[in-house]
Amino acid sequence: MDESPAPDEHLARLMARAQQGDSNAYVTLLRAITPRVRQLVRARRGFLGESDVEDVVQEVLLSVHAVRATYDPARPLMPWLSAIVRHRLADAGRRHVRQGAHEIGVDDLDVTFQAPPANSREETFGDPDALAQAIQTLPPGQRQAVELLKLRELSLKEASALTGMSIGALKIATHRAIATLRRALRASDEK
Amino acid sequence: MRTDELIDRLGRDVTVAQPLPAPGIRTAMWTVWAVSFLVVVAVMMFAVMSSAAVTATPLYLVQQSVALVTGIMAARAALASVIPGTSSRVWVLPAIGAAVWGVSLLWGGVLDLQASGTLGVASQSDWPCVVSMTAGGLVVGSPLIWMLRRGAPLTPGLTAFLAALAALSFANIEACLTRPHAFALTVLLWHGGTVAAVAAICALTAHRWLRWPDLTTR
Repeated sequence: MDESPAPDEHLARLMARAQQGDSNAYVTLLRAITPRVRQLVRARRGFLGESDVEDVVQEVLLSVHAVRATYDPARPLMPWLSAIVRHRLADAGRRHVRQGAHEIGVDDLDVTFQAPPANSREETFGDPDALAQAIQTLPPGQRQAVELLKLRELSLKEASALTGMSIGALKIATHRAIATLRRALRASDEK
Repeated sequence: MRTDELIDRLGRDVTVAQPLPAPGIRTAMWTVWAVSFLVVVAVMMFAVMSSAAVTATPLYLVQQSVALVTGIMAARAALASVIPGTSSRVWVLPAIGAAVWGVSLLWGGVLDLQASGTLGVASQSDWPCVVSMTAGGLVVGSPLIWMLRRGAPLTPGLTAFLAALAALSFANIEACLTRPHAFALTVLLWHGGTVAAVAAICALTAHRWLRWPDLTTR
């Protein structure tokens, strides 16, 4: 007969071991709870897109990491985890409303100036494929900085939280990445 | 960053994180500190002024006891509120305590009216008590804030309000010892007003000092 513990008991044991610094138990635990967290987020915020769901999931995982000492190993894990998910979702909702109150959605408006060249509709933004290729050739740190700050448009603080890099390091990596991209694109234009 | 990468990074960063003691135990630890503060204040005050300055009527003792119990219940509720999964109704017991405290002071006002023919509200202003309670609350409440910041700030406003109520309940006793009042309604208005105002300020500013711990991974 199968004597394996109930799933929640298993998770509680993993967390108890993680609290003692067991890295393997912690990774196993996080991998086990991530689908549940994702499910909870989708169930409560069905309107979120996949990337937004993933953002909230990552925020919950970071929160679990930050307050793991508040978990009492004698109690079941899921109510503890669900409470964190619920509150982080509420925080995300409040942040969304706050940002909405301070930001105005604007359609792509034509920008015109008196000078004829400024009104040219022939102007292009360059070759997106060349840009994508150039980004792939960047060193990992610079590529990550560009992807997070320029493509996903995260704030420096958010990107710092995700990568563990300091804000200063992110700024430097972005600056160097832009310079490298500029050189690479100029070189490809000249060919 | 992909979620899998984040998990690997968090796994690499994990260190020993001893579980926090239960809220009841943490409340007991804080209560020892708060009561010690009161004892020190009482000893200092009785050393410089006659103990007869405080008229320990049964109602006065009831009022101070209720303030003490309210403070302990509020501290326990605040400490429980930073533990995920705790009931969201942690505020009920301290609210009942605060209500009983208010009623006991109102009853004292009724007795004052019968005995002296006045509620005494206009005869005493009490700004020194406001200062004394705020300073005392800061001394009593600082360790509580430190303890709360080790938890999860799920409801910062409520947690901060309860913590302020806890600290100021003890500070109220300190103020009643150091500046005895002739009329109960003065205590209700000035001490109660101080508790309400400081707790409201704490609740409104809680998001600044009760934040989620640093979420960056090293």
